[in-house]
Amino acid sequence: MAAEKGKEEKVLLSIRNIHKSFSLNQVLRGINLELREGEVLSLIGGNGAGKSTLMKIIMGIYQPDEGSIQIRGKQVNLSKPSVALANGIYMVPQEPMLFPNMTVEENIVIGFEEKSAELHKRLVDRMQEVGWNIDLTRKASSLSIAEQQLVEILRGLLRQAQVLILDEPTSALTFDEAESLFRCVSDLRSKGIGIIYITHRLTEVFEISTSVAIMRDGVITLSGGVEEFTKEALVRGLLPADSDKEKESKEKEAYTIDYSQEPVLELRDLSGYGFNHVSLKLYPGEILGVAGVVGAGRTELATTIFGRDKVLGGKVFLNGKDITGLSTRKVIEAGLNYVPEDRHLHGLFKIADVAVNTTSALLQEKIMGSLILNRKKEREVTQKYIDDFRIKVTGQSQLTGSLSGGNQQKIVIGRSLSTLPKVVILDEPTRGIDAGARGDVYTIIHELRKLGVSVLLISSDMEEIVELSDRVVSVFQGCINAEFQKKDINQDNLMAAAFDVKTEKEVGA
Amino acid sequence: MNKRKTAFLNWETFLLGILVMEFVVFGVKNSKFLMPRVLLASVNDFIAICFIALFVTFVMITGGIDIQAASIVGLTSIIIGVGWQDGGMNIWLAAALAVAAAAVCGALSGFFIAYCGVQAMVVTLGGSFLYAGFALLVSNFSATEAYQGISGFPDSFKVISKFKLFDVIPSQLLVFLVLIVIAYILLHKTKYGRSIFLVGINQEAAEYSGVNTRLVILSTYVLSAVSAALAGIMLTSYLGTAKSDLGANLTLNIITAVVLGGTLSTGGKGSVLGTALASLVIGILRFGLPLCFKVNTQYLDIPVGILLLVVVIGRAVVSRPGTLAFLHKLKRR
Amino acid sequence: MNYIKKLTKAREASSLFFLIFLFVIVGCINTSFLTASNIVACFNDSVVFTLLAVGMAFVIFIGEIDVSVGANLGFTASVVGSLLRDGHSLVFSFGAGILIGALIGLINGWGVAVLNIPSLIFTLGTNGVLRGLIYVYTDGAWVENLPAAFTAFASRPLAGGVTVYYSVSIAAIIVIHILLTRTKKGKYFIAVGDNAGGATLVGIPTGRTKIAAYVLCGVFAALASILYASRIGFITAIAGNGYEMKAIAACVIGGISLSGGLGSVIGASVGAVIMSSVSRILVFMGFSSDYDNTITGIMLITIVVLDALMQRHAAERIRRERLLARSSKMSEEKEGN
Repeated sequence: MAAEKGKEEKVLLSIRNIHKSFSLNQVLRGINLELREGEVLSLIGGNGAGKSTLMKIIMGIYQPDEGSIQIRGKQVNLSKPSVALANGIYMVPQEPMLFPNMTVEENIVIGFEEKSAELHKRLVDRMQEVGWNIDLTRKASSLSIAEQQLVEILRGLLRQAQVLILDEPTSALTFDEAESLFRCVSDLRSKGIGIIYITHRLTEVFEISTSVAIMRDGVITLSGGVEEFTKEALVRGLLPADSDKEKESKEKEAYTIDYSQEPVLELRDLSGYGFNHVSLKLYPGEILGVAGVVGAGRTELATTIFGRDKVLGGKVFLNGKDITGLSTRKVIEAGLNYVPEDRHLHGLFKIADVAVNTTSALLQEKIMGSLILNRKKEREVTQKYIDDFRIKVTGQSQLTGSLSGGNQQKIVIGRSLSTLPKVVILDEPTRGIDAGARGDVYTIIHELRKLGVSVLLISSDMEEIVELSDRVVSVFQGCINAEFQKKDINQDNLMAAAFDVKTEKEVGA
Repeated sequence: MNKRKTAFLNWETFLLGILVMEFVVFGVKNSKFLMPRVLLASVNDFIAICFIALFVTFVMITGGIDIQAASIVGLTSIIIGVGWQDGGMNIWLAAALAVAAAAVCGALSGFFIAYCGVQAMVVTLGGSFLYAGFALLVSNFSATEAYQGISGFPDSFKVISKFKLFDVIPSQLLVFLVLIVIAYILLHKTKYGRSIFLVGINQEAAEYSGVNTRLVILSTYVLSAVSAALAGIMLTSYLGTAKSDLGANLTLNIITAVVLGGTLSTGGKGSVLGTALASLVIGILRFGLPLCFKVNTQYLDIPVGILLLVVVIGRAVVSRPGTLAFLHKLKRR
Repeated sequence: MNYIKKLTKAREASSLFFLIFLFVIVGCINTSFLTASNIVACFNDSVVFTLLAVGMAFVIFIGEIDVSVGANLGFTASVVGSLLRDGHSLVFSFGAGILIGALIGLINGWGVAVLNIPSLIFTLGTNGVLRGLIYVYTDGAWVENLPAAFTAFASRPLAGGVTVYYSVSIAAIIVIHILLTRTKKGKYFIAVGDNAGGATLVGIPTGRTKIAAYVLCGVFAALASILYASRIGFITAIAGNGYEMKAIAACVIGGISLSGGLGSVIGASVGAVIMSSVSRILVFMGFSSDYDNTITGIMLITIVVLDALMQRHAAERIRRERLLARSSKMSEEKEGN
């Protein structure tokens, strides 16, 4: 806003009142955004806030239901990616989309019409301009993630991109690599390129951006120059508006955990792909919240315990029994089950009915029959969870693909309970489901402790963790960076820990 | 409300309708078609398709494909012939050996597909070469020239294809019925069958449910190979000759039967009854067209191929978002 | 130096080494194999497969398959052969054949790219229809009595015993290779198979590229059919039966990855020579040429299994490195502090 005299910054990209829904799910609800020359706009927001949908609209992958986009003051219809490219927009996706079998140069110049010699010259010029050096004849599959991202950015630069979107570029970078990326971003800024920088890391916001916008539930709730904000203010902006009203939960009050008991699940110095040296104890009847942002390594921790990936070090004990590195089948038998983060990819059998879905984890057990499937048992088990969880279905034979997200999630939770586990790991149990279903899921989780089931609750929704947990650990970049006892559990503390912002209250990691 | 069940029922009824229509059209055109003896004798020409398609359905429900089964028919046949004539085996021992060999072939391909992650199409393509080659290899152990085929089997062996219940219903049809029952129970009634569907719908989710998905996938290739072996035994018995190239060119018919039977080419959905009906539809078509319309038997791949294309194109068109929106609009009006 | 290094690293180079290695081994067992005339014959005889394999390569580049090329070859050969027999001009007959081949490719491309039907199932269907059409067209009779000049041309050598057909084919393939690797549009095929999502992001028309691959595959099958007719001199109703399998095998042996995005037409043509030499090699080693298919099957399966294992290993390695990079940062930063 505060444009200095003689340095009138031009508006590169102007987004007006963008709406987008997927079937009944409103993802964007009137987004307004402006990006000027030489501006680095940090876009932050929780998971499911709609950031990636917005970026896909800008890239022409999705079309908005409503609203308009102007580029340099000119109305455009970004009907497909090639149109966005022609308008000088380029997105570096979170997972680089290179052609692994092509060389770096081929990757960059693909899609151009000009002569290759000319392109080569332009490419080399560009690289000198920004001061990067990368072997153009290397195959993309041999590049590190950071190098792949540089190649992606070069791709954008050679396309004369004026608007560069970087989607969580540092999420897979080492410290040094991130530093060199920041240098490159400031180079680009000085060349008048506008950058939208999506990140989960608040430190980076202050390190590289000129302005910041916070997105929540499909709207931009807060925006302005970066100098107007502090980390604490950003953390507060990420929280829902009514978060001050701490909800009292009577059940929570009534239940106290006996910490003198033997832990039911214990991780000793567990390391795997995506997490390091994680030690924690889960006590009978306890709900242990695991806070953090997506990509912090929480899901990898859970799936590794569940036998889906290799354990690199350390031990897992369930009721004193060593279950380290067992197969999924054996882990389930031992009494641990997992509700996956992505229910579409890892949970649901969409073209199968409710009964098939609910009993799939029980299939290997004797009670479902030794050879012939015991349909009666199947119906019993299914009906039990339909009744207990108030799952809205027309019948047991309704296809799960046609259910709402909340009911789908209840089925996946029901399945994991059908094996009568002692420990359930719930990974983002309320992602993408409506408020009513969310309340039901919370009730289910509370009910679990009455059955003596302990819960490891992985969630990026701080409100949820506050509401449910008896104790919370926070995971940041693969390590536990903080632990909170019940009295210290509040959204400010958790959000700060999730973004690794040190507050006075905290004793230090 | 039960949308899926009724849709399936509809599809199977639809197939039954086509079958009845075939009978009517062929019967009207040439009354000879409806003579029980003629009609029932015709099963010999397509019984192999029926047998194999039943179990290739299992493979395709897991999301795979099997184009090697046809070559295993010939391999089975020649193993029986050579084992009996040149190996001096009891004919039944030779048949058992052939089934075992087929199972090993199926397991080998299944292993590469399930445990090494190679596309089913390529492995079974290679398999179709390899097992046809094995068949030739085996035939060279024989004193008889390959093109002649080995014949002179004992009557006890021939009878399995010559037997007729009540003097009319040929044993092939009886065996087919038994196989339908077995396949139906296996796929639709057992825990194993359920895991096949789970794997086909979402292999990852099946893994998260604790299903040993790789073993399930491997097993379906063993089953389809064994069914091919049974077809090989039946054909060898009927023809009275063991030949290494028996069953070649069945692939198109088998895949068409499975796809026409309602199995999704992407996996996760399919039914034994659908496949059984579809293989009969194809079989009757292959029998009726030459008999009633003087269509040269060499042309028969055309209707079968067209049938396959029409089914897959039809499904693709119906499931396109544009078409769906269009249908939705029509409904609203 | 750099160039040589690059060359030896290429996938098609390993197939070329394999070809040389194979010939030398066979030569050690039976020295008469390594005579110039025999080796030249190996290459000359592979010309039909070479063209088929090059066409197939386009389809495999984009990550699809076409099992109708054998029937395409048989049908087109019947049409071209009968036109020539009935006294039509070369240009007209060849033109008709190429047009038919292209049309078949267009239909396959439409089914796969527009309707999203699994390519194996769709082309299996067109294969059946075409096989039947051959019988309809020829009435099951052989197409014989092709013009003598046409059939005699097949064995006309250009230089050193290499036929005109093979020399021209190879020259054309080299030109195609250059077009594919040096031009913008040429790279689209590999790009679509390498990473279809990424291709869309950089503005490549993936649908049109896929259709183009199938049309080219059809055209090459038609060209192969012309050479087939000329070389064999007559066309039976089962002409080209199983050739689709051989063309796919040639591509795989030539280093083209069946998951798409990797390989070259040069590799395909080297693979075709290996493929078509197998039966000759068997004879020279004192075996029956019947085992041709067995050997092909073994080679095909071995190569795809090794390739799949290697690719899976590499993908897993990348995933794990990525995850490790994420989690190790924390400790690094701590140390830094």
